[in-house]
Amino acid sequence: MIIHANVLITILSYILAIISAIIVGLFLRMPILPERPMRYSFTISIVFPTSVLAIGFTAILFKLGHNGLLVAVVVGVLTAIFAKYFLESLLPKPQTEESS
Amino acid sequence: MNEIIAIIIAAVLSWINFVLIDTWMGLPEQPGVKGAEVIGRSVKRRGGDLAGGFFQGNIVCSPDASAGTLLASAACYTIGTPEGGLIAAILVYFGNRLCADPGYAGTTGALSITCIIFAASYIGIGPADFIVGMVLAIVTIQGLYHPFSSRLLGKIAKKMGRHTKLP
Repeated sequence: MIIHANVLITILSYILAIISAIIVGLFLRMPILPERPMRYSFTISIVFPTSVLAIGFTAILFKLGHNGLLVAVVVGVLTAIFAKYFLESLLPKPQTEESS
Repeated sequence: MNEIIAIIIAAVLSWINFVLIDTWMGLPEQPGVKGAEVIGRSVKRRGGDLAGGFFQGNIVCSPDASAGTLLASAACYTIGTPEGGLIAAILVYFGNRLCADPGYAGTTGALSITCIIFAASYIGIGPADFIVGMVLAIVTIQGLYHPFSSRLLGKIAKKMGRHTKLP
């Protein structure tokens, strides 16, 4: 199996996007993990959804033609800021339990 | 690889992917919204399992690992692997949050099937095979016979410690 250099750079870009999102998330004092039981938690944490959003937004920019390690780092930083300050107001927690 | 064999392998991989992730994330434990509870109780009245019914209701009412698997396959087909799967994961996350769902099952399903598609591409199974395979996989759960499929899902939930405690 041959892995080309550009594939390695792409993988490195995604890893960099996650690392920069984690570092900025720690600076912004976001929780690393949601509280337990995690599968029912709506808390916005560093691992989920910030890291997932970071690689998703990086993939969108890559497909729009903006490649590079610097792009990935900037996207990671911006995603952490977005997740900390804007995501909760954009997608609020459900106010009441709908099911009885 | 022969197309029929590729679709069958893709269907099995998709089925295992979404059923295990959805069960692990607690879909059989409780209905997320009222519609899921109505479906679960209805399946139980027809001779099915309540936990399996909640599972079926939850995947109807919000995009969980089943939708993540299908969307990631379609996105990998149209956009490319792995970018399509990663973009599908954030779209599924936004869709989940709009459906009052935390979004763990959907995004995990989308990311895991992206890895599976990437690995399967080396043995000649492409994203198109996974789209057809996932449609077949979801038909076995939602489209053939609810009482049997819900009992099977209930057994899997019990084995994984995720069976419902609701009466």
